[in-house]
Amino acid sequence: MTSPLVSIRGLEKRFDLSGSLLEQITFEGGRFRRKQEAVHAINGVDLEVQKGEALCVVGESGCGKSTVARTVMGLISPSAGEIHYDGQRIDNLDGKAALPYRRKMQMIFQNPYASLNPRMTIQQTLEEPIRFHHPDWSQTQVRDKIHEVMHSVGIDPDWGSRFGHEFSGGQRQRIAIARALAVDPEFIVADEPISALDVSIQAQVLNLLMDAQESRGLTYLFITHDLAVVEHFGTRVAVMYLGRVCELADTRNLFAAPRHPYTQALLSAIPKLEDDRPNHIRLKGEVPTPVNLPSGCVFHGRCPYANERCRQEVPQLIATDGGTQVACHAVEEGRL
Amino acid sequence: MALLEVKDLDVRFAVRGGDLTALRGISFSLDKGERLGLVGESGAGKSVAAFSILNLIAKPGYIAGGQILFEGKDLAAMSERELRKIRGNRIAMIFQDPMMTLNPVLTIGTQMVEAILAHRNISKKEARAIALDRLQKVQIPSPEKRLDQYPHELSGGMRQRVIIAIALLLDPEIIIADEPTTALDVTIQAEIMDLLLNLCEQENVALMLITHDLGVVSQVTQRMLVMYSGRIIEQGPTREIINDAQHPYTQGLINALPQMGEPGARLFQIPGSMPSLKNVPTGCPFHPRCNFATEQCKQAMPEYVRSGNVDVACYEVANLIEQEKRMQEAES
Amino acid sequence: MTTATVSRWDRFRESFFWYSFKRDKVAIASFAVLLLMVLAAIFAPLLAPTDPYDLAQINIMNSELPPVGMSGSDPAFPLGTDAQGRDLLSTILYGTRVSLMIGFGAVILQAFLGILFGLLAGYLGGKVDAILMRIADVQLSFSTLMVAIIVGAVFKASFGNLMFGEIAIYMLIFIIGVAEWPQIARTVRASVLAEKKKEYVDAAKVMGFGTRRIMFRHILPNTLSPIFVIATVQIANAIISEAALSFLGLGMPETQPSLGSLIKSGFDYIQSGSWWITLIPGLVLVVLVLVINLLGDWLRDVMNPRLYKG
Repeated sequence: MTSPLVSIRGLEKRFDLSGSLLEQITFEGGRFRRKQEAVHAINGVDLEVQKGEALCVVGESGCGKSTVARTVMGLISPSAGEIHYDGQRIDNLDGKAALPYRRKMQMIFQNPYASLNPRMTIQQTLEEPIRFHHPDWSQTQVRDKIHEVMHSVGIDPDWGSRFGHEFSGGQRQRIAIARALAVDPEFIVADEPISALDVSIQAQVLNLLMDAQESRGLTYLFITHDLAVVEHFGTRVAVMYLGRVCELADTRNLFAAPRHPYTQALLSAIPKLEDDRPNHIRLKGEVPTPVNLPSGCVFHGRCPYANERCRQEVPQLIATDGGTQVACHAVEEGRL
Repeated sequence: MALLEVKDLDVRFAVRGGDLTALRGISFSLDKGERLGLVGESGAGKSVAAFSILNLIAKPGYIAGGQILFEGKDLAAMSERELRKIRGNRIAMIFQDPMMTLNPVLTIGTQMVEAILAHRNISKKEARAIALDRLQKVQIPSPEKRLDQYPHELSGGMRQRVIIAIALLLDPEIIIADEPTTALDVTIQAEIMDLLLNLCEQENVALMLITHDLGVVSQVTQRMLVMYSGRIIEQGPTREIINDAQHPYTQGLINALPQMGEPGARLFQIPGSMPSLKNVPTGCPFHPRCNFATEQCKQAMPEYVRSGNVDVACYEVANLIEQEKRMQEAES
Repeated sequence: MTTATVSRWDRFRESFFWYSFKRDKVAIASFAVLLLMVLAAIFAPLLAPTDPYDLAQINIMNSELPPVGMSGSDPAFPLGTDAQGRDLLSTILYGTRVSLMIGFGAVILQAFLGILFGLLAGYLGGKVDAILMRIADVQLSFSTLMVAIIVGAVFKASFGNLMFGEIAIYMLIFIIGVAEWPQIARTVRASVLAEKKKEYVDAAKVMGFGTRRIMFRHILPNTLSPIFVIATVQIANAIISEAALSFLGLGMPETQPSLGSLIKSGFDYIQSGSWWITLIPGLVLVVLVLVINLLGDWLRDVMNPRLYKG
């Protein structure tokens, strides 16, 4: 197998909620205690993104998928684990050393209303990255590049002197995509890029991303909660729950035969047009908070198939026949 | 007589430079216990329609014309005092963000009791008992505990259940739900919609569900209406519209869904986007984006024609129906 | 959709800012008066009939002449003269100039310090934030006037009146500017904290931009709106502070008076019946501060984020 473009190994991330020393000290049960809390956003994730593929990471709120995206892009530094790009470790690089990777790895964000600087014109927004990464380019070269990339996302280059707030949500997202494409990246992390858009605009932007992938040979790490989009767009899917990957499979296999109980529940919960009534697997209990992680398998509290081992031992991703990798004791033991 | 009948509703916003029309000629009805879906994208006016039923449109919005008949009485013409007797009591509303609906500094119990006592002359103890009963109805675990908890102590899904419980406190005739699950995870959404559906069936409460999610509409509603740029362009039984949409916009909406596309292939997309209130085209508002638009479409808004059990406002559909009728007459 | 490029002037003419200004008579009137006073102050050397600080031009025989309209007045001195025979109109023109210089100078200094420290504290966070904000807290607990009095008095005692008089204007700008930076810093810091969370900052980081570029090129322009309002009101505050100090004898000297010191030097003459020496400069000061405050009020309403969203 060829070496992956992006490799995430043993990634962990905890956000400290403790506050200052004074805030940590509480008076409980007649004694002073020191309370230290953390949000365990990522609890051991191993993923590889192959060149040219669109790896989708899905999960519901609190599963850590956005945190994974930001860690890969270097906006957050990991508590443990490593991020590798093209064989090179990148999570520990400082500003200067990371610069070449900044050009090759780009990101598209969820909120089109906050991802463009309100005080900069579109022209300025697109020009700055180009000039930054190509300081030797002439004025004409920069201008041509801006025009080319605006055309490719369907924005009229004449509108360069306008500000972000003069555009609709869908157009702003196109401009954000243009900004990412302007530096000719190889790898793009898209963090819920269409969730904030209207349904009919979602299709437009999704098509745009697919076209860009084909014409520029891009590799995507696509974060979303919308499984319908995944089924359409992704090559492989990783399903996350409370900071761990529970299932990793080719898209077709995942939708045809989901193995992990959480994946099964998640797929059944999507409202389908053919349904007359809600028709989903009912999970018991509530989603636990990432502050107090359950012991053993993070899903055991809601899983209909949990046994004692599930309460004690954290399951690892194991390959099954069919190529799918599942982190579930029940699947491993053949109970499922 | 229908429980709620909206006739020719016109809602406008008074801004500098003239009035903007948000809703134009909106007409629909809702029977007792019926579940109706209002579908459309943002800017279509579905939230405005929902808010105007209880006359909750904030200035500079105002009802410019039409009637909203609830059990025969026109809500649009009622005084604020009379409307307050109906709000929360006969017609309840559920909003999208539970954190915004619940007062963060009051306990759940306090808020529920306050809502009851505003409309019923009973003791606090009796009110609390009613509150507890409703919390049980929405299947919240440990309902007695919840009464004394604050909103931030509950998860998003639980808060939305509380909101539904509050809506049911006074046994309303109608619940208007404005995107109640859009902000929730898909597994929680499924549970909440399931709950809402069961409760409405059990208590025979009419439901007006506003959403952009066609899957949810399909699962929960019996009839639906599709809105575009302040107009209803298609209206009828949900199953019929989903299976065989007539209006080009509705067809486009359905076809643009990723679940309808071939994996890996480009998705069907409707070109352009919904016009803003300032730039509404003349005639049929959809014509700039429509593949079937003709000169006629630019002139005037089409009348409704009936196709099966569905009312559609489209000249193309009208033409097709005419053609079919002529063919049938020719054959007979 | 329009495809023509929109010029800055067009954009301004269509903006809510201009629209609101045109409709608000108080704002228009205040702006007109302020503009008049500023222009008069700038062109004081050209407009003043005499140079009141040129000893050759003053004649003690002209002292304490009342303004035109009262008996004993001289048309050469339309607003009357002071105890030394200086033309009041001229002294007021020059005095307004000094007051405005101190007002603008102090605000420029406090804005510079406030924005810089606010940006650093907000963006860098951690220890930098803690240190800067604690310094700001300490400074806020001292009143500007008190600090100015102490510094002024100590300086005067150490270096004498003459030395003090020569650098008074710079000292006042410095003291008022340095004393008032915390308020601006706090506002900027709050804005920075809010902007830091937005995705365009992440996009800039992802693009590889350094901290300095992100702070000054990306975040700073988005934190400036509230500063305009504060700065406007602070100009008025600075002018009043300086007037108070002058009244106490710790402000501008008689050789280079501001409106405040004019009021002070005229104060003793109320008893002798020459009320105009103190009152007219006083009125001018009140009008100046009033119009600045009115403009500040209007600006604050216009820039209310609820209305001003894009």
